[in-house]
Amino acid sequence: MKKNLVLVALLLVPTLSQGELFLEITKGSEDPYKVAMIPFEGNKRVSKQLNNIMRNDLIRTGEFSILDEELLLPVKIIDDELVLSDWKLLGMDYLVTGTILNANNSLDINYEIYDIHKKRKVRSSKVFGIPNQIRQLAHYTSDGIYESITGIKGIAATRLLYVNEIKDSQLISTYKLMLADSDGANEKILLSSSEPIISPSWSPDGKRVAYVSFETGIAKVFIQDIASGEREAVLSKDTQISSPSWSPDGKYLSLTLYQDGNAEIYILRLRDRTLTRMTNQFAIDTESSWSPKGNKILFTSGRSGSPQIYELDLRKLNPKAKRISFEGTYNAKASYLPKEEGIIFVHRSNDGLFHIALKYKKENFIRVLTEAKMDESPSVAPNGNMVIYGIKEQNLSMLAGFSLSGAKFKLPASNGEVREPAWSNFLR
Amino acid sequence: MTANYRYLQASLFSFCIHAILFLYIYGTFDSNTSQTLLISKPLQIELKFDLPSQNVKKQIPAAPKTIEVPLDQIPQNIVYSKVTDVIQIKQNNELIDSSIANLLSEESEIEIDRKKQEITIYAQKIITTIESAWMKPRNIPNDLVANLRLKIRSSGRIIGVELIKSSGNIRFDNSALQAVRRVETFSFFNSIPKNLYESEFKIIAISFNPS
Repeated sequence: MKKNLVLVALLLVPTLSQGELFLEITKGSEDPYKVAMIPFEGNKRVSKQLNNIMRNDLIRTGEFSILDEELLLPVKIIDDELVLSDWKLLGMDYLVTGTILNANNSLDINYEIYDIHKKRKVRSSKVFGIPNQIRQLAHYTSDGIYESITGIKGIAATRLLYVNEIKDSQLISTYKLMLADSDGANEKILLSSSEPIISPSWSPDGKRVAYVSFETGIAKVFIQDIASGEREAVLSKDTQISSPSWSPDGKYLSLTLYQDGNAEIYILRLRDRTLTRMTNQFAIDTESSWSPKGNKILFTSGRSGSPQIYELDLRKLNPKAKRISFEGTYNAKASYLPKEEGIIFVHRSNDGLFHIALKYKKENFIRVLTEAKMDESPSVAPNGNMVIYGIKEQNLSMLAGFSLSGAKFKLPASNGEVREPAWSNFLR
Repeated sequence: MTANYRYLQASLFSFCIHAILFLYIYGTFDSNTSQTLLISKPLQIELKFDLPSQNVKKQIPAAPKTIEVPLDQIPQNIVYSKVTDVIQIKQNNELIDSSIANLLSEESEIEIDRKKQEITIYAQKIITTIESAWMKPRNIPNDLVANLRLKIRSSGRIIGVELIKSSGNIRFDNSALQAVRRVETFSFFNSIPKNLYESEFKIIAISFNPS
């Protein structure tokens, strides 16, 4: 047993030495669920780490406020029942308790959620993991807590892609395509290049990524397997190809091709690389993205004289693009919310600044959701409640995020600049 | 000709059947909602009560008139017709009869009004309490409505909450449920008369409709 503990402690060292994640929560929501989280029983060190990660996961959603650890009460158990009345006096809505189980090569968590108002246990779950995957274990647990309280699937266990640009002393840039957990931790380099990398896009199963690399001198779209690192160019054409977007069934990529003299949207069937042209316009058509059901695509077009968002119904034989953005002279980079109830996009407001905006299908006005100066490339989390996007602070690009419920956070780069985020699908 | 007539008859028959079906379905929907709903608009505070006593209310407008007529007649009788005593008595008898009925209906009307007023007061209190506990989530579509049904003890304690109509937006539904959870107990419920509680406040329906 002692040996086991030593082993666990050793395995923990690398994860701990990566440095605590710096996550700045700049704003909470106005009506959070108040949750008391008792540090899980078991290995103190693991418990502390778990607690930190879960706390951050939950606070970042904007829908929770977690009671400070110093204010926690001792857990009282009378007749095998946890006493909840004290927690009620503290104004708590939910109480979370848990136990960490160490056995040979596994690290499991048992956790329980109590509804303090209803005075009963609402969830009792077990999460299985391995000792060097504490972060993942914590994310799974916080997703379980989030889902059982809100009824919405959690996104802590999802991942992000983004591009990191680092300049050396001679101001020569290196571009890295990065993969990280949804909280920015656990960074991995997928590709490093001296030429720019842009527009990363997730395959729906989260196993592959597509992106644009300028390594050959012109824009080319590559597909890369995350696990093996194998990569290939999707088309051997000698033309600029950009903005890949994966269809929800994973069978198609929508792309922008420049072979017709200007940018047009094409759909590529991956099985046999059949290309189908979707737009035919003298103006630029680009930045396509699929609807959650895969029957429509959104794209940005300059056909009206300014960049605006258009929608194309793929079920129709000769689909005609329908303009869906009307406010202002710049609307671009749109993507659907997961239930297709609205779209998230970049909007230039009257003050000339670029913001992330939301437009619900049923409403005839837009909602501007951010207030920085140069907000760009938003990517929506698979549960539709959060958006990650690029901002500029002191001329440095970094990532920021917000939840629709009003929480805001920043993910500053540990090194260099970060841009072009892409949020994965649910990975379980 | 007969065939035509039969067709006409058949189509008329079918029309009637359909009309009845339609009315039946429409009517039941209508009565369902009106019976279960005690509608509130948390932001605008507008209540609609559908009491069983509303049927009685329809008869009420007639009552004041019948009272006024005899009252006019009495002075007329007294002033102009001393001779016709018998008739007067007869008339008086009639007057007394009708005025008792009128008084009764008047009384019941007052009673209903009082009850209605009382209900409005308590309903208003319920709304204000829930309103103060309710936070409308941000960035949700505007036209959402969620209906909840609450079971309340006579102490004011909410013992059951049920989402009877989802808005289609989980965050909006959650905010409504959360508001009710926060309230937990209506402190003024012990001041509600028992029969009123039994008839009106044991089970209530609330609509969250911020538009």
